[in-house]
Amino acid sequence: MANSASLPALSSSPNDLRKKKRANRSAKLKQCKLDARRDQWLSQVKNKGSNGESSPPIPSTRPIGPRKLDPARDNAAAAESLLGLQDSETEFAAGRRIARKDDRPCSSSISSGCFSGSATEDDEEEDGDSTALDDWEAVADALIADHHHLEEPKPSITAPVPTPAPPSVTPKPPEPRAWRPDDAFRPSSLPNLSKQRSFDVSRGFRNGGRTVVSVSVPSSCPICYEDLDVTDTSFLPCSCGFRLCLFCHKRILEADGRCPGCRKPYGMILDGSPPVFLLSRSCSMNIR
Amino acid sequence: MSASNCTSSSAGGGVGGGRVRSWSSTTSVSSSGKRIQKEMLEFGADPPSGCSAGPKGDNLYQWVSTIMGPQGSPYEGGVFFIEISIPTDYPFKPPKVVFKTRIYHCNVDPSGNVSLGILKDGWSPALTIAKVLLAVRSVLTNPDTSCPVVSSIARLYLTDKAKHDEIAVEWTMRFAR
Repeated sequence: MANSASLPALSSSPNDLRKKKRANRSAKLKQCKLDARRDQWLSQVKNKGSNGESSPPIPSTRPIGPRKLDPARDNAAAAESLLGLQDSETEFAAGRRIARKDDRPCSSSISSGCFSGSATEDDEEEDGDSTALDDWEAVADALIADHHHLEEPKPSITAPVPTPAPPSVTPKPPEPRAWRPDDAFRPSSLPNLSKQRSFDVSRGFRNGGRTVVSVSVPSSCPICYEDLDVTDTSFLPCSCGFRLCLFCHKRILEADGRCPGCRKPYGMILDGSPPVFLLSRSCSMNIR
Repeated sequence: MSASNCTSSSAGGGVGGGRVRSWSSTTSVSSSGKRIQKEMLEFGADPPSGCSAGPKGDNLYQWVSTIMGPQGSPYEGGVFFIEISIPTDYPFKPPKVVFKTRIYHCNVDPSGNVSLGILKDGWSPALTIAKVLLAVRSVLTNPDTSCPVVSSIARLYLTDKAKHDEIAVEWTMRFAR
């Protein structure tokens, strides 16, 4: 896809250019995510409006198998609920076209946007990105939760509606929110989604884990009694849920390295890799 | 030692930028001081049963404490004075607990040093002075004979508890009243 076309160009570019672009890109990413989010909300609103007349696609709420694309396309075009998708799709295609023509890596501000789908995979460890992803996940959570509510009562009502092309139509429309990474319709502006993919599987767990954790967030570090700042409150170094500030955590790592809450070594969960913000970023890390 | 720790932690911990700690005040003394003061307040507001404690004079790092001998133990009716020395890198290091009142107990050596798991390897920074005192008090009721510092007392406790208790009561009457 767009990758194969413009990746070589990217890799051939000098390193410093790339670095400069990277800083650029994280800013761009955030913008793109915001755009995507707005698209989604728009499409959701449209969905709500159209649910009354044509809601057949809704019954099969959570498709699990891989999504079939080709036949889906025609049907999907007909479905009103896809208005949002269409928008973002054309956007995507347009962006891609530009990216293809674009051989200069330095001028490819748009193509960097296009890249975000795949490129963030590599850049995942960057700080700027990680915070952006945090935001993104929060949004995704909210969307999922919201959507969940909407869907709950429906299956019983609309279940008997016959769908002529089950594999194609059914999985498609109800969840414009949950893009498969391999989905052709996926807006390029969405971040990489190896993590989001695990949402469906782990939703129950995530919600459960998160509520428990969020309830018991202390306002000050139980070790030094300094106030926990934003970074600290999102810092969950141990699976037992014991929170502490980064200063104390570092201090403990320099000494015996055991969690004060459960006395298990901190490294155990992370296979010796330095315990950074990865854990706090999302509970779905546990699945990996 | 402790100073160097702090320097490195402030250098590496630029992440928690919201906190403004000047270089000079980054010593561990002040950080443990805040914790100890807080503990002091909490202890005063909700002291563990049968215990009292507080800094000796104006030195936050030296506490004096009393423990009432728990009911049902041979130490019942006694009041035991204890000194707690808090290291400057508290709570990352455990406090040192010393009986100032003589006591016949297998976990307290002749000079009064208390040997408890949580005061050594079992220490956790999440523990507090109040919890330490509770642990000391509970060990008066149930001596930890698996790792005694006075093995003769532990042996006597295991073989002839009545005799052990008799001696403990006698010591309590003599020294802790």
